[in-house]
Amino acid sequence: MKKEIILIESRDAAFRDLVLETPVGRKLSTCMQCGICAGSCPVSHEMDYNPRQLVRMVQLGLKKEVLNSNTIWICTTCFSCSVRCPRGIRPTELMETLKPIAIAEGVKNKNERFDGVFSDVVRKNGRASEFLLISKYSLKEPEMIKQAPFGLSLFSKGKLPLTIDKMENTRELDTVFKLGEKAEKKESKEIRETGTKKEKEEPETQETDK
Amino acid sequence: MKYSYYPGCAQHGTAVDYRKSVEMVFRSLGIELEEVKNWNCCGALHVPDMTIRSALSARTLASSKGLDMATPCNLCYSNLMRAKTALEDISLKTRVNEALTAKYDGNTKPKHLLEVVVKDYGLTKLAEMVKKPLKIKAVPYYGCLLTRPENKFDSPENPKSLDNLIASLGAEPVKYYYKTKCCGGPILITNEDLALELARDLLLMAKESGADCMVVTCPMCHLQLDAKQKAVEKKYNIKLDMPIIYFTQLMGLAMGFTPDELGMGKHLVSCDKLIAKIGR
Repeated sequence: MKKEIILIESRDAAFRDLVLETPVGRKLSTCMQCGICAGSCPVSHEMDYNPRQLVRMVQLGLKKEVLNSNTIWICTTCFSCSVRCPRGIRPTELMETLKPIAIAEGVKNKNERFDGVFSDVVRKNGRASEFLLISKYSLKEPEMIKQAPFGLSLFSKGKLPLTIDKMENTRELDTVFKLGEKAEKKESKEIRETGTKKEKEEPETQETDK
Repeated sequence: MKYSYYPGCAQHGTAVDYRKSVEMVFRSLGIELEEVKNWNCCGALHVPDMTIRSALSARTLASSKGLDMATPCNLCYSNLMRAKTALEDISLKTRVNEALTAKYDGNTKPKHLLEVVVKDYGLTKLAEMVKKPLKIKAVPYYGCLLTRPENKFDSPENPKSLDNLIASLGAEPVKYYYKTKCCGGPILITNEDLALELARDLLLMAKESGADCMVVTCPMCHLQLDAKQKAVEKKYNIKLDMPIIYFTQLMGLAMGFTPDELGMGKHLVSCDKLIAKIGR
């Protein structure tokens, strides 16, 4: 088996603490690496790191690897891992916790772009019209052309109306979406602040790892 | 019986067939579904910020006028249920309520339409409404979010409510080990190859079980298993030909409605063989 060395420089205590202080994070320390999450996951074979590995990586503070892995994005949110975990950890919710952090840290990929388009459509119209969603996403993702026959087949059955389904008034939704902006700013501020604080403690952490 | 009704976005688009069958069947059962005025999307699985997602559901729940809130979609149902749990946190509830005009009080109970039929209406009463017992074999497919992470109305691992509903209509629910395995719906746009692989496993297992159709409770599952079935056949060079029908359509067929009245002509996989077997 390939032996991997985790460099102390790649460990980010601020990131680790940020995640460990969230509702799902508070339980992560009880993980005993049994792997039932990875075994239950329908897509773990395509993941850069399976859910069991991801939990350990968060504990180690491997920020770059965690936030740039496809794991948090291809999770289908099926909750199989979460209902089976003997420690009551919900890895699905860990993925959900990590997504906004990855976005705030500037991670870019097609899933993040789709989520962005989806959020914009809901914010502006209150509802997610499939046609609007697909056309806006296709502009950002040229490979969507491959899905054109799928769209056409739906259209031919009257299942992809070209009208935009809208709420009467979306002003309230704008306020709802601002709730996230506040949280996002707070989060990145926190990670910066704790980041500087923790840097001073770094030698101590190194000591324990030797 | 009266419910506040949250249809969700798909009912106005890719799930027009589901909508048609819900309207027909529920009217006939005498269950009134009063649509929420000016409802908003629940955020599905694609609004990544969980505070916003809780708030989107809180806004919907706050407009239930004191009634239980019924919804036809697994994703909407799951978001409403999860928001209800998350909003037990007082500080989150206060923050969310600051953004809402009608305040969320936490008293609305979300229910999936399947729960409304099985638990509230009752299968004994439903069996009395059957005009034409369906002599077919059907796969009870629940999907993920109907029973997970928690809903207290059926088991997250081996649910039985849809099995029982199928049986009460005179049909045979086949043994199906993937009844709560993910269909890949949430990633069908972004990660098509992987989504098709998940759908293939479900469809092949359904085929092997000897079933005449798969019964679903969610517009996302339907989109993935019905509308994407051609793509699965093409990619893996297999013949599936497996009709995917909503549980409300199955009920409607047994209650004597025509396939057209139930929107079955809008499916991508033809239901002709299935309908011929049931007989008109």
